[in-house]
Amino acid sequence: MAAATKNWRKQRTTGEIIFDVLIVILMCAICFITIYPIWYVIVNSFNDGADAMRGGIFWWPRVFSLENYKTVFKDSSILTAFGVTVLRTLVGTVLNVFFTAMVAYGLSKTRLIGRNFYLTMGIITMMFNGGLIPTFLLYKNLNLLDNFLVFVIPAMFSFYNAIIFMSFFREIPASLEESAEIDGANDFLIFLRIILPLSKPVLATIALFSGVYHWNDYFSGVIYINKPSLQPIQTYLYRMVAEAGSNQMAAQTADVVKSTTSMSLKLATMVVTTLPIVCVYPFLQKYFVKGMMIGAVKG
Amino acid sequence: MRKTKKWLAALLAAALLVSTAACGSPSSSGSSSESSKGSSSASSAVSQEGSEPSTADVSDAEPGWKQHADEPITLQWYVNYSWFPRKWEGSKATEKYIKDTGINVELIIPAGNEAEKLNTMIASDTLPDLITLGCTDTQVAEMIDAEMVLPLNKLADEHDPYFYKVANQERLDWYTQDDGNVYGYPNASYSFSDYEKYGNIPSNQVYMVRKDMYEALGKPDMTTPEGFVNTLVAAKEKFPDVDGSPLIPLGTHEFGDTGCWALESYLQNFLAIPYEVDGKWYDRYTDPEYITWLKALRECGEKGLLANDIFVDKRSQMEEKIVQGRYFSMLYQRTDMATQQKIVYENDPEKIYIAIDGPKNSKGDDYTLPGGSIQGWTLTMIGANTEHPDRCIQFFSYFMEPETQMTMHFGPEGVGYTMVDGKPKWIEEAKELSDKDTDAFENQINGGMWMLLDYAMQLEWSDPPKDPLGQLEEWTYDYAFNPSVYNITTPAADSEEMTIKTNIEALWGKTLPKLLLAPTEEEFDQIFEQWKKDRDAAGFDKWMAYQQAQYEKNKEKLGL
Amino acid sequence: MVSAPAKAERKSAHPKLQGLWKQRYLQLMVIPGIIWMFIFNYIPMVGIVIGFKNFKITKSIWEAPWVGFEHFAAFFQDESFGNIMVNTLGIALLKLLICFPLPILFAILLNELRSVKFKRVVQTISYLPHFLSWVVLGGIMITWLSDVGMINEILVGAGILKEPITFLAEPKYFWGLAVISDLWKEMGWSAIIYLAAISGIDQSMYEAATVDGANKIQKIWNITLPAIRGTIAIMFILAVSGIMNSNFDQIFILKNVLNAPRSEVIDTYVYQMGMRVGRYSYATAIGLFKSVVSMILLVIANFTTSKLQGSSLF
Repeated sequence: MAAATKNWRKQRTTGEIIFDVLIVILMCAICFITIYPIWYVIVNSFNDGADAMRGGIFWWPRVFSLENYKTVFKDSSILTAFGVTVLRTLVGTVLNVFFTAMVAYGLSKTRLIGRNFYLTMGIITMMFNGGLIPTFLLYKNLNLLDNFLVFVIPAMFSFYNAIIFMSFFREIPASLEESAEIDGANDFLIFLRIILPLSKPVLATIALFSGVYHWNDYFSGVIYINKPSLQPIQTYLYRMVAEAGSNQMAAQTADVVKSTTSMSLKLATMVVTTLPIVCVYPFLQKYFVKGMMIGAVKG
Repeated sequence: MRKTKKWLAALLAAALLVSTAACGSPSSSGSSSESSKGSSSASSAVSQEGSEPSTADVSDAEPGWKQHADEPITLQWYVNYSWFPRKWEGSKATEKYIKDTGINVELIIPAGNEAEKLNTMIASDTLPDLITLGCTDTQVAEMIDAEMVLPLNKLADEHDPYFYKVANQERLDWYTQDDGNVYGYPNASYSFSDYEKYGNIPSNQVYMVRKDMYEALGKPDMTTPEGFVNTLVAAKEKFPDVDGSPLIPLGTHEFGDTGCWALESYLQNFLAIPYEVDGKWYDRYTDPEYITWLKALRECGEKGLLANDIFVDKRSQMEEKIVQGRYFSMLYQRTDMATQQKIVYENDPEKIYIAIDGPKNSKGDDYTLPGGSIQGWTLTMIGANTEHPDRCIQFFSYFMEPETQMTMHFGPEGVGYTMVDGKPKWIEEAKELSDKDTDAFENQINGGMWMLLDYAMQLEWSDPPKDPLGQLEEWTYDYAFNPSVYNITTPAADSEEMTIKTNIEALWGKTLPKLLLAPTEEEFDQIFEQWKKDRDAAGFDKWMAYQQAQYEKNKEKLGL
Repeated sequence: MVSAPAKAERKSAHPKLQGLWKQRYLQLMVIPGIIWMFIFNYIPMVGIVIGFKNFKITKSIWEAPWVGFEHFAAFFQDESFGNIMVNTLGIALLKLLICFPLPILFAILLNELRSVKFKRVVQTISYLPHFLSWVVLGGIMITWLSDVGMINEILVGAGILKEPITFLAEPKYFWGLAVISDLWKEMGWSAIIYLAAISGIDQSMYEAATVDGANKIQKIWNITLPAIRGTIAIMFILAVSGIMNSNFDQIFILKNVLNAPRSEVIDTYVYQMGMRVGRYSYATAIGLFKSVVSMILLVIANFTTSKLQGSSLF
């Protein structure tokens, strides 16, 4: 940062320097405020659970312990659960992003016949839903219960994401599509060859939304899945944390005080489940680079 | 025998909790008067109700589960507790169950909101072979009404008369419905004869003080309102801070939408306020003794003895504060603070919480604290969709066998126990593991399948309680009673009574903090009067009538 | 609709069909989405009738008796109805006022950072709290906000407060706490969409502005903001339509009997009155009420933004 500031100094006015410094200070403050709870979770997850119950652990573990993590990984079926989640996240995200983008591209064209009808239909889905029981009955009839597809098919499309796509597609200069049309490309090919490559920021955004949804969703695993082998990691860990409370109760008469508590396990669980998805973000970030789209137009 | 105390903790905690929260037999009414003789009579109430096995049949009956051990099947078993920690696979006990009966089990455990999962299965008619749920859950009555569960007695008549030999008649009687059928079998159920047979049955409800502080104050009397308030004042004066944070003179359960359990039924039980007077269901909330004590608590509020913490804190904050010793005293459930108590004990045995005589009524009556009751904690039922009704009922019988009960407690014979003079005796290694690591013991040895555990039977095999938890438990022995007859069935979810009950509870939940924090006694009276009016307007009469009817049914069933 | 392109193949003189045929690829891209919505959204929507019936889970929806608007009436007549509406709308409007614009500002300022590395670090850190559950965050907050908690220590230490305040015990602080804690948790996450929009801006526009002697503020005002105006409008419309939804997990964990007068919202009320005892019809009716209000708000917001600045959902 310092080096960069130096290089630019000559070209900048005093006002701009003050502006930059202020932003940096502000951003540091925001970082501190937002990272603290994460830090708190991490520190406490590495602390002995029984000791943590005394409170007062803010900056550093008081009684360092890996026991919470050992407990989380105690059971080998956690790997199966991880596998299910990774697979559904990959398949689900690709399907959702591609399918939603395709539909949204069509909907973004004002020349689309029936557009108002389609849009109204979509908007209603954002506001109204039939509730759990009718949905469950539908899935039952579609044979989606205890089926991997229940993770990806019902999450294949989201009108909310479609709206975000549409607002991006509308900003793409029409001249690009027109030139392709002259070359004889149909709408689908234009979407594939021209629009998608230009939409990396929004694709990355929706992929992130969708990926986070798939990664964090424990509900489908709870309601629609009974087979342990199809359980996603979040359902698995959700259950483990819930049972930790009862184990505490159960373990009250064991002579040894347990070094994990339901809270300490919850924190370790949170770290384990959040870490992989958090790590994805820096890779997506490269798509949030300035000026990409317009550069393409010019080129 | 940590083991048994473990059940005490996990099951009984819940069972007792449920019992005071007005549990009861599901929508049963007017069962036969014969059935009420149950405990002494060897004959089956079910057979008297018209389903046929003769007593002779039963005594000759062979265990059905033995016949099919070589025909392996898998049953799905739903257990309505998201925290249920065990897997079917991997323990010596479940291996034995499979070997003995040929039945393998696929457990279905909900995660998160149990009602959501169960209701969805009911609504979509996808209930599995076996269903275990709390006896007060509204779904019990719903499933019976919709014939989604099978009558155990009919299945037993048809497929396994041996069932009657191992099932406890008092429990069957209690769960006999209007139609004469029994649809579920409870665990952690205590009959009246169990109380006679086993003696020390504990309650969960205690008034505790921090040992070192209470002794430093000279162990003052806290049974009268004056003594209670003065002791709290003295405690706060003498110990304003605990490690730099202010002392909380009185701890209670979490305050929620429906009020605060400790300051409702707990306090009423301590004051020995009756459930009924001359056969009429009694309004415990307007009893003068209770009002006197609520006013004493209001005085505590006025004197700054009710810390904000008790209204604001959730369970996890409370647990932290127990470990920190922030509470001088607590009216609370002892099993809910056992882990914390042990941590305190490890750090400084003088700072633990001890049970003492808490609030008493003006006549100085003994406390009436509910212990385990006949309706138990959970019910296990057989789903109507099952393809193996015969194997299901035989599986029930299998679990009721004393040998299976021993396996649930110690692990299989030869692994967890050996029989000496007709009594099971621990094998040292198993005992050690059980003392050291309950989780490992259950996962590897005894399986931890408590769905059909007969807790009363397990009492025989248990050790006496140990420090630092023993004193809390022992204190309750003299005051625990069997509250079965007062277990009011939860009304069906969509009934008028349920709406009224919910509204009345919500009303109280709003009123209680106002009463406690009222600045003057006049204001307290005003709020209380207003609450009575609002409660009447909410349909209080109907709710009382419902409880009266339930109570009368219970009396009839128990032969009282 | 599905067969429309096929029919059009006959090249009938009908201009509409001809038009459809011309855009057959476009239609073929859209129609799978419409079919999907029909199956996965519209078929279950039949369940809305539960709100007008007395539904029992052991009977089918069709067998349940009709009760008309009884559940709606019961909700509107509840004595706490007025209060929970005030709280729901009050918290939501405050959130709209504060938690909506600040992520935009954050995204813009983040974009002004010169070091790409620093920018990425800030961006990553700022969206982390989104992944923490309210159960844990709420627990931390309850501790911090107590009379001996960190916040009081700082405020009293700095001389801002004379006496420590148990913030969660006072109804009057609740709305503010709900808004600030929400901002704390979600600001970075909400900013992602604006960052994506900003990254689509043509760099040459900034260069041109620099040549013209524009300063930073002017560039933000004249280039960045107009370029992401469409995204802001869309997000605003969606935010307005979400006013009836409170963040249940958040409110539920921070709510207690003392602050209840200012913390009871529709969602916690439904939980208390409906969910705990399984009154599906009642809960469905309230859900439907919320949906209808949201729909109306959406239409109004959409109309207004499209009149004021030309972007709209539909």
